[in-house]
Amino acid sequence: MASVSVIDELKKAQILELLEQGKRVDGRALDETREMTIEINAIPKANGSARVHLGDTDVLCGVKIQPDKPFPDVGDKGMFMCTAELLPLSHPTVETGPPRDDVIELARVVDRGIRESHMVDVSDLVIEKDKSVVGVFADVVAIDYDGNYFDACSYAATAALLNSKTPTWEMVDDQPTVVEGGDKPLPVSTIPVSVTMGKIGNYIVVDPNGDEWESMDSRITITTDSDGNIVALQKGGSDGFTQEEINQCGELSVKVGAKIREQLKSAQEESQ
Amino acid sequence: MGGRDATMVLLDENGIRCDGRKIDEPRKIMIKAGGLKNADGSAYIEFGDNKILVGVFGPRDVHPKHMSNTDTGILRVRYHMEPFSVGERKRPAPSRREIEISKVIKEALEPAVMLDKFPRTAVDVFIEVLQADGGTRCAALTAASVALADAGIPMRDMVAAIASGKVADTIILDVNNEEDQAGQADMPVGYMPSLKKITLLQLDGVLSPEEYKKCVDVGVKGCEVVYELQKKALHDKYFGNRGD
Amino acid sequence: MADRRKYVIPGDVVTSGPFRPEQNVILEGNDIISTVVGISEIYDDSVKVIPLTGKYLPKIDDLVIGKVVSHTSLSWELDINSCYIGFLPAMDVFGRDFSTHSDELSSKLKTGDLVAARIANFDRTRDPLITISDRDLGKIDDGVLVKISTSKVPRLIGKKGSMIQMIENGTNAAVTIGQNGWVVVACESAEGLSKAKKAIEMVNEKAHIANLTDLIQDMLNEKDES
Repeated sequence: MASVSVIDELKKAQILELLEQGKRVDGRALDETREMTIEINAIPKANGSARVHLGDTDVLCGVKIQPDKPFPDVGDKGMFMCTAELLPLSHPTVETGPPRDDVIELARVVDRGIRESHMVDVSDLVIEKDKSVVGVFADVVAIDYDGNYFDACSYAATAALLNSKTPTWEMVDDQPTVVEGGDKPLPVSTIPVSVTMGKIGNYIVVDPNGDEWESMDSRITITTDSDGNIVALQKGGSDGFTQEEINQCGELSVKVGAKIREQLKSAQEESQ
Repeated sequence: MGGRDATMVLLDENGIRCDGRKIDEPRKIMIKAGGLKNADGSAYIEFGDNKILVGVFGPRDVHPKHMSNTDTGILRVRYHMEPFSVGERKRPAPSRREIEISKVIKEALEPAVMLDKFPRTAVDVFIEVLQADGGTRCAALTAASVALADAGIPMRDMVAAIASGKVADTIILDVNNEEDQAGQADMPVGYMPSLKKITLLQLDGVLSPEEYKKCVDVGVKGCEVVYELQKKALHDKYFGNRGD
Repeated sequence: MADRRKYVIPGDVVTSGPFRPEQNVILEGNDIISTVVGISEIYDDSVKVIPLTGKYLPKIDDLVIGKVVSHTSLSWELDINSCYIGFLPAMDVFGRDFSTHSDELSSKLKTGDLVAARIANFDRTRDPLITISDRDLGKIDDGVLVKISTSKVPRLIGKKGSMIQMIENGTNAAVTIGQNGWVVVACESAEGLSKAKKAIEMVNEKAHIANLTDLIQDMLNEKDES
């Protein structure tokens, strides 16, 4: 994300030298993710929330669920929206004002990963057809940076949605009104997990940290669902991947994704 | 100030407020200095149910250059609420309220910060409200002061803040969200405790001249209590809580 | 000789009376007040506070580690972990016969390179002037950059260099300490490099602990389980 940071040439050379020996600067294996902590319900007043630390990358997602007007020709579907924003306190190079193209890409990739998995079924979210529907908003904010916002934001959004409770509404005098005692968990059908891999020289590393992110030539983010299917994918950066590398990344995303999925499930179960 | 909710009892016959507090009792406050890895200074505050994070960068180069001052560094403050921080989801773009609060907080910190030794630079204060429950600007100003100290920005004094107010014709300390909506007055106060100067003061509501003086006094005394927690936060981080 | 050290935060009164206010204190009426988080020191006729946090403020002749962030045809700009960008003129490297036609700056130093440098000049009206033209200065070809707080640099050096010598002797590493908190560690062996890095990080995190020297010596003596 800190694309305007100046790459430390010495550091990049050291990273490559270690990779040639099959090692990474922080001692991880090439297909190993960093230690992750998930704080469920970090914002109790929101409908659902989760704060994720992936190494020193720190992101927070809050979910708000509230009635809304449906889109003009889609009166039988509710709304789901996922946004991501870099807070200026996360890194000295983050500016205020309209988001840069790399931040817009981050937000759209995180949104697609969840949307394409159909984790939240928008046809479930109708109060009265054509009049009133439910909007589910998952807003992710990045608080501290050490590489790989894509995955940290994805995990925070997924964990927050898994944790979300939604009121039940009924129409009273043409207004959506909360039904007392009608709170229930937000229905979700799958647990999407994104895995981002960076290419440094000829090496593929999973979950690049800040230094690796600055040194990598290109990256790929692949999202899988609970059935092990690949539901979303984004390649970024200025270099190319070979077909073998793309296939390798696909396999890694399923394997590593499964491990992360277990962590997300445990975090949710422990919070009950 | 919002409409009046006739059904809410803001002060009962025993002098107890709607959340169980006495009239001069502030909500539970926790302040932590530091915590962010990339910011030059940071602080986190919980003030009742308010949760606010502040990050400071600087003194640093100013871009665009025409905004810099050749004689002194400048202070920039951005107060921002997350979409999930309030009851009804807030759109990400800055609202007029956030812009006004940013300015008021900046002007509350300017009397304290000393930037004349850093010409052509800026000190940026980024305030993020993660969860809001009445009195965010006071909690934000309090945390911002700690974050500036954590960043090593020279200051004449700390700035502590809390809101006093009036409910049921009684002057109270630390106005929460319900009291702000349904009460009779809300007065945020920002204060430098060593120099004894008020640097933030606003009022929403109706006060007689006597009530006004009492409200200011209650606010100032409340700020002195908040200051002790700012001191504790910095002592815990830097002095291993050993004090002197 | 300093008297009566005290932990202070901005606004704290250090003392009152006829003292000359020096670094990081101001005179307010009859009181001398700290302007930063730090440790106050009272001398016979003056008072100062040693800050425990804050960016590096350039001082003439300081050795610093810098990173090239950009250049024009006439100079390089260096990040020196300060409020200001360091300015390294081409003439410092190419000499007096420097010519923009024949001398290409990126042939000597390019964006992303690290240098050991000295502050040649600094006053607040312009950016600090940097030089790398001494024998022990110049581009850094080898080594790992470790960043510590500027306020911890004296502790890392130690009394008469005792701390850094202990670390270098215990690891066979060569350590270059920038006053700006950036430190370069070079070592033939990976184990030595890792231990030297760890020792430096320990100083940064535990500078206030009384028996830090012993803790670090113990860590350096530990045999590596390979």
